[in-house]
Amino acid sequence: MTPAEVGPRAGVLDEALEHAALAVTWRARPGLLGWISSVDHKSIGKRYIATAFVFLLLGGIEAGLMRMQLSRPENSLLGPDLYNQIFTMHGTTMMFLFAVPVMTAIGIYLVPLMVGTRNIAFPRLAALSYWTYLIGGLLLYTAFFLNSAPDAGWFSYVPLSGPEFSPGKRVDVWAQTVTFTEIAGLAAAVCIIVTILKHRAPGMSLARMPLFVWAQLVVSMMIIFAMPSVATGSIYLAMDRLVDTHFFNPAEGGDPLLWQHLFWFFGHPEVYIIFLPAMGMVSAVIATFARRPVFGYPIVVLATIGTGFIGFGVWVHHMFATPVPQLGQSFFTGTSMLITIFTAAQIFCWIATLWMGRPVWKTPLLFLVGFVVTFVIGGMTGVMIAAIPFDLQAHDTYFIVAHLHYVLIGGAVMPLFAAFYYWFPKVIGRLLSETAGRWHFWLFTIGVNLTFFPMHFLGLEGMTRRVYTYLAETGWGDLNLLATLGAVTIVISMLIFVANVLGSAARGEIAGGDPWLGETLEWAMTSPPPAYNFAHIPIVASRSPMWSEGPDMPGASGLRSDIREVLVTTVLDAEPDARHDDPEPTIAPFLVSLAVGVMFITAIFTPWGIPIGTALLLITLTVWFYPRREQTEQVIVTRSAA
Amino acid sequence: MRSIRPVLDVSRLPTVVFGHRNATWWGTIGFMLIEGTTLALVAASYLYVRKNYQAWPPERTPFPDLLIPTIQLVVMLVSCVPAYLAKRSALRLDRSSTALWLWVSAAFGLAILVLRWFELQALNTRWDSHAYGSVAWSVLGFHGTLLVLDVFDTIGLAYLMSTGRASARHYPATTDNTDYWMFIMAAWVPLYILVFLSPRWI
Repeated sequence: MTPAEVGPRAGVLDEALEHAALAVTWRARPGLLGWISSVDHKSIGKRYIATAFVFLLLGGIEAGLMRMQLSRPENSLLGPDLYNQIFTMHGTTMMFLFAVPVMTAIGIYLVPLMVGTRNIAFPRLAALSYWTYLIGGLLLYTAFFLNSAPDAGWFSYVPLSGPEFSPGKRVDVWAQTVTFTEIAGLAAAVCIIVTILKHRAPGMSLARMPLFVWAQLVVSMMIIFAMPSVATGSIYLAMDRLVDTHFFNPAEGGDPLLWQHLFWFFGHPEVYIIFLPAMGMVSAVIATFARRPVFGYPIVVLATIGTGFIGFGVWVHHMFATPVPQLGQSFFTGTSMLITIFTAAQIFCWIATLWMGRPVWKTPLLFLVGFVVTFVIGGMTGVMIAAIPFDLQAHDTYFIVAHLHYVLIGGAVMPLFAAFYYWFPKVIGRLLSETAGRWHFWLFTIGVNLTFFPMHFLGLEGMTRRVYTYLAETGWGDLNLLATLGAVTIVISMLIFVANVLGSAARGEIAGGDPWLGETLEWAMTSPPPAYNFAHIPIVASRSPMWSEGPDMPGASGLRSDIREVLVTTVLDAEPDARHDDPEPTIAPFLVSLAVGVMFITAIFTPWGIPIGTALLLITLTVWFYPRREQTEQVIVTRSAA
Repeated sequence: MRSIRPVLDVSRLPTVVFGHRNATWWGTIGFMLIEGTTLALVAASYLYVRKNYQAWPPERTPFPDLLIPTIQLVVMLVSCVPAYLAKRSALRLDRSSTALWLWVSAAFGLAILVLRWFELQALNTRWDSHAYGSVAWSVLGFHGTLLVLDVFDTIGLAYLMSTGRASARHYPATTDNTDYWMFIMAAWVPLYILVFLSPRWI
């Protein structure tokens, strides 16, 4: 069916009236129950981001405690058992409860705005994702405060984490936390992919998608193929511990290396699952502050897709110290070096963008420069440890700790801060303080380098990871003290950041709809956006719709304002194809998450958790899918496949 | 804030579409990819553990029985017929016929779940006997979880269709359910070969 062309305002309500009607239709329900029932991608995204940042602060406190303990030889601030718990909590929190979820969360918030639709696809599934994630995080921290936190490291290698060497429930808590976060990640990935493929604004063909949206698409596909691996592994581990299976027990034919394969087949793509959305943020921020579209759009898109593929072919470089066949190891050295080409291509495109643009040196752009410098250092050490002979020496030393923090802080946290300063005005409606932002940037960048640069030398001198103390004779005291002073600098920078966020949210300068003169559609509306995002869906004719259109953008009308309705478009060219009703607020996703919670948490103690949880799950899914309201009026069915 | 000037009216676009035109179909594909990856990893784990053994199944463990699993395979493949007929009826918007074939599919599904219980016995090993038992049970278990969810979904749709509570949107839901059914059954063919036939060959 071809939609009819109409003249301006023909056959539609007056725009103000339509906004008013939509505001009623899309409004959130009041009270706590209303908050729990929300299916608005912006509410879900905001609580997801806020929760992830709380976990960032908790993980940061754990890091600070470790640095305090290691600041001088034979320190007795933390005992070995508590230290084991704290480094496991730090890694697990940062990877599973902060880094991946925050990238997903920003996708949940921004992708629908950027592609020009009223809500995310499957908003109830997005809500389920959040609640499941929250339950996983609460499980981990409840166990921590009960002195039952996991203590076998963030990748929980067997046999240490198996029933023989880790009796008790600590590792079970870890395994179930991981399962929760993987369910959450997978659910969100499906929502984001379908939003991108089927809900783009008319005219936004794949070739016109914002680079941030491309990054989210590739990452969500990676999540779909990577996360089942660690979920399978964590279920095997839980079963080995609970019902005496022998997946990883060599005495009965199982294999500890199977765990490492399952973990790293997820674990290395996970690095790119964290890194690629950050690259999308870089592209978005750099275009706005360089005042020109990103140089080499096709190169950046292809590099993103290429990283997505090659990211699945490098996992064995985490296992060079295991008896993997040498030819196989060489293959993984090759792929590990190959993948740097894609990242380098993107970095050159961004430098060219800045070079050819008119840079505006606001805080977001400062963080991007910090990103390039810090990340390149991490990338260089990455090339070093991709070489097997070097890796065998550096394996499990502080050299690796230095490398991974340079890559993850440089490659993900700094772009994330850039994104935070950039999109905070859109989400909250007020600008963050620029002065505080500069203090935050300089102290954070100096602190990161002061903390992690000395660790390269500590590693080369033989200091291994995960030791709770060391002797004075090792001579590692001074560099460790320097690293701790760096950590103190990071803490000060984060205090400034938190104060800036809280202060600016209350009293910051009013942002208006488009404070940065941005390139993409999220800047077309008020800040914060209305519940329905767009009254009329914009029609897109270029990659930079906000720059190529005048103050009066062309759009599509005819979506209903009396029920929640979204536009469905075709996958490749985004031609208008159908209308789809969007779910009303519902408590069902929360209930299903609780059922999943009961299932996995009870299963830590008894196998009966599985049948009990399954029964609860089926009951709550019935609540979810039971049709409550007939919306048969104006239903138009078409059976044609074209 | 930009003003958006309407130049296109989408009010006559359909609200119910099938297959790739429907966003839910893409969601279903997403879950097939997730679950297909999971089943592939479970199968890979089976083969990975295999290399630790001289004999497969291990000594003093009999081969898995073939009778019940082969009956199960045939029942699964035959079950695709009513599933297909449910899809065809849904595409014709024929409510009573859709309901009928969904109920027939659901009956097949329940039979398949009962047979899965006997299939577990046919493995002739326990999950806690050795790693062979663990990986063999895990293949049936992971696939069984998907079966439970799909049978539940089919019963739900059959109930809604036959009680008149279904809306027009449940027709594409039915066709998606059939596609998913076919996926689950098709996925079982290589897994059946892996668990029940391959020990006799490798």
